Amino acid sequence: MTKQMEIHNNTWEIGGKTLSSRLLIGSALYPSPANMEDAIKISGSQIVTVALRRQAAGNTESKGGNDFWNIIKSLGIEVLPNTAGCHSAKEAITTARMAREVFGTNWIKLEVIGDQYNLQPDPFETVKAAEVLIKEGFEVFPYTTDDLVVAKRLADVGCKILMPWGSMIGSGKGLMNPDNLMAIRKQFPNLQLVVDAGIGKPSHATQAMELGYDGVLLNSAIALAQDPVKMADAFRVAVEAGRLGYEAGVMQKREFASPSTPTVGTPFWHQFKD
Amino acid sequence: MIEVIVNGKRTEIPAGLNVKEAISALEYRQEGFALALNGTFVALSTYESTKIHDNDSLEILAPVQGG
Repeated sequence: MTKQMEIHNNTWEIGGKTLSSRLLIGSALYPSPANMEDAIKISGSQIVTVALRRQAAGNTESKGGNDFWNIIKSLGIEVLPNTAGCHSAKEAITTARMAREVFGTNWIKLEVIGDQYNLQPDPFETVKAAEVLIKEGFEVFPYTTDDLVVAKRLADVGCKILMPWGSMIGSGKGLMNPDNLMAIRKQFPNLQLVVDAGIGKPSHATQAMELGYDGVLLNSAIALAQDPVKMADAFRVAVEAGRLGYEAGVMQKREFASPSTPTVGTPFWHQFKD
Repeated sequence: MIEVIVNGKRTEIPAGLNVKEAISALEYRQEGFALALNGTFVALSTYESTKIHDNDSLEILAPVQGG
């Protein structure tokens, strides 16, 4: 195996699975199911988020849902059901239990929304739901803010994974508080940390990975791009670049200029002046 | 007949049905969904032992795209 192959063969563990891709991808908002399928494939992602919604009777209106689910199953990658739309721990717990039965996984992306304007997670209800679900054997992927104390509470109830937001869901604004994200990283070196929400462009994902985050979860940035498939490829590269950059160790910033070309042997060194 | 609320819509089904029978009466397919009764998850294995009562609320959810 060449050195280059070794570098690109890094794996990581999350939720009891060993994976190679650190990009977690959403399945919503794509122009078509075929486009979604192509984007997921080219992204290299091994985790795709899914949801539950009311099913229509008579198996007519729900046909689209069936087609969607068949595509996802055919991809052979891990599914991460979410509790999107829940506003209380009780709703989220019920949705998680339903998701476990339908999707056949104990993974749950725990989302409990506290404010409809900015879709900010409700920290109190999220912690409450996480505690119950972990006791029931769920692997909880909690969507949270970049608040260090909330992160501590989630870790206290047994979360091994934390998913602080970069910025508001669907905003594409990137990492609003990188210092807060870094504080969480430093406080929890042994937890799996994934930046979830707010990523708008590949450089945002790279920045998150350079902070030492273990992964990035995004949906809108790919699905709402003019060319979602090409953007999925861009994010694949961006996440990989950020991770490699983090592992390589970024140079220290300096407050002064320093030439990179050697000064010894410089021709015409101060010999000619006007 | 009794009145039940299914996915937010009020409808009528025969009295005395269990969950499995109610799903048939409501013309839902028999797989690929999960069900909650009055906000509480009902496992597939307990459909036949769980009775539906007047004014019960059922949520029947199936996989969709999500972020």
